[in-house]
Amino acid sequence: MIIGPVYRLTLRALLLQRRTILLALLAAAPVVMALVYALAASADAHHFRFYSHLVQDLFIPTIAAVVALVIGVSAIGDEREDGTIYYLVATPQSRIGLIATKVAAAWTATLLLLVPSLVISALLILKGAADASSILWPVAGVALATLAYCGVAGWLSLRTRRPIVIGVLYILLWEGSIATFAASASKLSIAAYGRALVAERLPEAAAPVVGPAPAVVILIAAAAITCWLGARALVRVEL
Amino acid sequence: MSDVPAIEFAGVSRWYGDTVAVADVSFAVGPGVTGLLGHNGAGKSTTLKLCAGFTSPSAGAVRIFGVEPRRNPSVYGRIGVVPDQSPPWPFLTAHEVVELVARLHRVADPGAAAARALDIVGLADVAGRKVGGFSHGMRQRVKLAQALAHDPDLLLLDEPLNGLDPAQRREIISVLHRLGDEGRTVIVSSHVLHEVERMAPQVLVLVNGHLVAEGQTSAIRQLISERPRTIRVAAGGDGRPLAGALVDSGAVDAVRFEDGAVEFETADVDGFSRALPALARRTDTLIRRVEPVGDDLESVYAYLHERARGAGR
Repeated sequence: MIIGPVYRLTLRALLLQRRTILLALLAAAPVVMALVYALAASADAHHFRFYSHLVQDLFIPTIAAVVALVIGVSAIGDEREDGTIYYLVATPQSRIGLIATKVAAAWTATLLLLVPSLVISALLILKGAADASSILWPVAGVALATLAYCGVAGWLSLRTRRPIVIGVLYILLWEGSIATFAASASKLSIAAYGRALVAERLPEAAAPVVGPAPAVVILIAAAAITCWLGARALVRVEL
Repeated sequence: MSDVPAIEFAGVSRWYGDTVAVADVSFAVGPGVTGLLGHNGAGKSTTLKLCAGFTSPSAGAVRIFGVEPRRNPSVYGRIGVVPDQSPPWPFLTAHEVVELVARLHRVADPGAAAARALDIVGLADVAGRKVGGFSHGMRQRVKLAQALAHDPDLLLLDEPLNGLDPAQRREIISVLHRLGDEGRTVIVSSHVLHEVERMAPQVLVLVNGHLVAEGQTSAIRQLISERPRTIRVAAGGDGRPLAGALVDSGAVDAVRFEDGAVEFETADVDGFSRALPALARRTDTLIRRVEPVGDDLESVYAYLHERARGAGR
């Protein structure tokens, strides 16, 4: 399976878009907040608590979710919109390979925008108290949550002509509202599983929905299943 | 050579809500160049999308080399597609576009294949330029090059001459003839009859989603030229003596008097043309103007549609 050319093509297309600048600004918002915190917070403030809330209540459920959604939709939806997807589909490549490669490229672009922001925010807020685990667990949570978001976004971009609207409704209405007070609803929240990984090192926010190992499995499974659904959609929908 | 036709439609329909794009179409296409002729909205692009597996039939079956392309991606190794209205990635150079597609088709040396295909379409000199800066005609040729690079057995070309100047058209048409002569199957859509005549010895004519004629392009042309015509004659006086004489001569089938002129229906335009001046002299009628009515392409398609419906009854 030749995935390199499609991966590079998609990544290049995503990073050259004007909307990527807007997404980079959105991704950088926590850095601004961290900078303000670093300048204003007293020495005895609970740095870990602030960092934990920033990651679990803002970064994963809103910023990472929106960035991954928009980029994930762009990776496939834009090609469907402008017709360039014809040139990829009219080749003997496996459908699941094409979709998985596109999702992988979208995930890479998402991480390129989010991870530096997350790491810089940690260093600014935690200062000397930052250690490897206080950075790696949140990065793992963001990375796996965005992988699942990109998979869902890719699938949505093939199933509907309004993937962004549906994705934003899921993020705001389901994850941001219903899942915050209904425990069973949070089982269907990507952000909740991302937070479960972060809570392994930064436990100050809401109680995790599952432990870290199941969270990893569920997020990877969500990405795999949505890629498979996307491949099925690719041979069923009008291109 | 296998007996399986390159393209086979069996009772294929495709509808979108209440709109029928393709209606119960059946045909088989083998080696050589076949034109897909029809007016805008006739269902040409949908037919080619069905061939390419970019959409599924609502009813019936589409088989390419005996298989459904959507469920058998390996068959794309034998197909080259030039979609309409879909320029390649603008941030890539022409060579990068063609090489990428050749690579995805698992061509052994995609760089060399890209260079060869771009040379065929006359873009070798600008292969290193980005497609975004190309004219419409140049983008059309990049699209053709990417379809040729993997040396396919079947080419599906949706309006490939759009945006090309006359010299480029000649070049592309000669490429298509060569591909057809090599035993490949080339299906090429157009809404221009004389364009199809130059490209394809065989033709399928679509009107409002219906396949209304198929066969030799020359036979379809003959059929079209022999169709009943309406000719409007503006004559001095009321034109009735002339109309009566023409009816008596058998050169016309029907006569109507419209807005001070006479409209004649005839199945024999040549006979009418010979009879008209002689009978005008004999009946002492001054002819001011002679013009065909409804002689545009839409009327031609409407005639073929009516004829096909009549044959189906």
